[in-house]
Amino acid sequence: MDLTLLLQGIVSGILASGLYALVSVGLALAIGVIGIVNFAHGEFFMVGAFITYQLFISFGFDPVISLFFVAPTLFLLGGAIYQSSIRYVLKAPELNQMLLTFGISIILQNLALLIWGGDPRTISSVAYRSIGYQLGGVSIGLVPLASFLISLVIVGSLYYALLKTPAGRAMRAVAQNRMGASLIGLEVNRVYLVTFALSALLAGLGGVMIAVIQSPTPIVGFAFTLKAFAIVVLAGLGNIRGILWASLVVALSESLVATLVPNGDALRNAVFFAIIFVVLIARSRRLA
Amino acid sequence: MSTALKVEGLAASYGKIQVFWNISFHVDEGEFVTIIGANGAGKTTVLKTISGLIPLRGGSVQAFGKSLKGFSAAKIVRAGLGHVPEGRQLFGLMTVLENIESGADYLPEARKEAAKTKDFVYKLFPRLAEREPQLAGTLSGGELQMLAIGRALMSKPRLLLVDEPSLGLAPALTKTVFGALQQINKEGVTVVLVEQNVQQSLKLADRAFVLENGEIIKEASGAKLLHDPDVQAAYLSI
Repeated sequence: MDLTLLLQGIVSGILASGLYALVSVGLALAIGVIGIVNFAHGEFFMVGAFITYQLFISFGFDPVISLFFVAPTLFLLGGAIYQSSIRYVLKAPELNQMLLTFGISIILQNLALLIWGGDPRTISSVAYRSIGYQLGGVSIGLVPLASFLISLVIVGSLYYALLKTPAGRAMRAVAQNRMGASLIGLEVNRVYLVTFALSALLAGLGGVMIAVIQSPTPIVGFAFTLKAFAIVVLAGLGNIRGILWASLVVALSESLVATLVPNGDALRNAVFFAIIFVVLIARSRRLA
Repeated sequence: MSTALKVEGLAASYGKIQVFWNISFHVDEGEFVTIIGANGAGKTTVLKTISGLIPLRGGSVQAFGKSLKGFSAAKIVRAGLGHVPEGRQLFGLMTVLENIESGADYLPEARKEAAKTKDFVYKLFPRLAEREPQLAGTLSGGELQMLAIGRALMSKPRLLLVDEPSLGLAPALTKTVFGALQQINKEGVTVVLVEQNVQQSLKLADRAFVLENGEIIKEASGAKLLHDPDVQAAYLSI
């Protein structure tokens, strides 16, 4: 086996895991705190990517600057979607919730198709897009590296906020015991609203990064929804702490399959399905 | 003496199942009131309706002269009502300290005095101070009950609703919990206690009600009800 190729696979996997964690942690929040399985999560990611693209094309905004525009926009979009639809199905059967979020996903995808068309949109003229470093034969792109570090900072800040701030404790309280949360003076519906909006914001920030790493299309979010589900399932539904290592497992597996297996690039998208499959079977055997 | 709680024509239901239609009573400020009754009489539902956990289907609830109509459970806590519910409803994956602090975190007035209230809670239940860094989910039944009362006290309630605090506790712990409730009442907090341990709870009560099939059928001082032949026959096996 070519050691350099193996190292390249490992490094690429580690770098991708940051973005995966950023997107998955938002989904885990929605599932853990609100109890909603949000199939539209990846579409927030896609909207973040297209806003970044549009800001670059229309105003020449650097994607790093776009982070500060996308964050409030996606927070408001998430809040508006929660207020106009999600909150009405919170007590409905899970199937109804899933169908609703799936419908929202289709609407957002088609709106993007209407506005930006189906072709990949590239932010090609960003100077740092092509910068890379060589380290013992392993190449590290500046954009994936920066995306990894920014994602880690955001996810780390989120962990800190969840553990140490009253707002974070409010989310944990609602996730653990809704009745108990009401009895300490928390308006549970308001916590849900903020959590859903925050979940959209986190996905949107991931979208800013993917706008530079790849060339987004209206369906880019769907693949990330599936990856995020694989990560959330691996970490354990609603387990925010497990997201980091689960992201690492999924991203590394994908990267190693793509690098080491012949025609592996075509197989990489099967990896997260295999992970969901194995984890669900293993968990159900443990329960049986 | 002014009125802490005034309940008139209270009605509540779980879906289509009506639990009670017309319950009325009042509690004066500083009183210790006990509600006794058999399983399924509606005691827990009365407390849950007052604290907004179950929507009011009819009638009215006033606390300290203010109507609670349309108030959410969270807003009712801000109006000065603390509730120690059946099953305790604590945050099992948070530490004892986090559970305690959470009781005051979201109430601006209570937060100002949080350190002082926490000292009072720890004086009342020194065991909680020893268990501060421990996850609430790992506590014993008695400790959980102490924590539930402590968390409710952190909201600086003027009226405390307490549901079955002795459930599943050993006699020594029951004594500790009832002693603490008596102490809380002496500090000026009005207490409404729902309890199946009729003997102990009536001993504490200034006044007590007997609830049967969703209706208050008797009301008297705790001492008087303790010697009431019907109460003795139905609840004290005498």
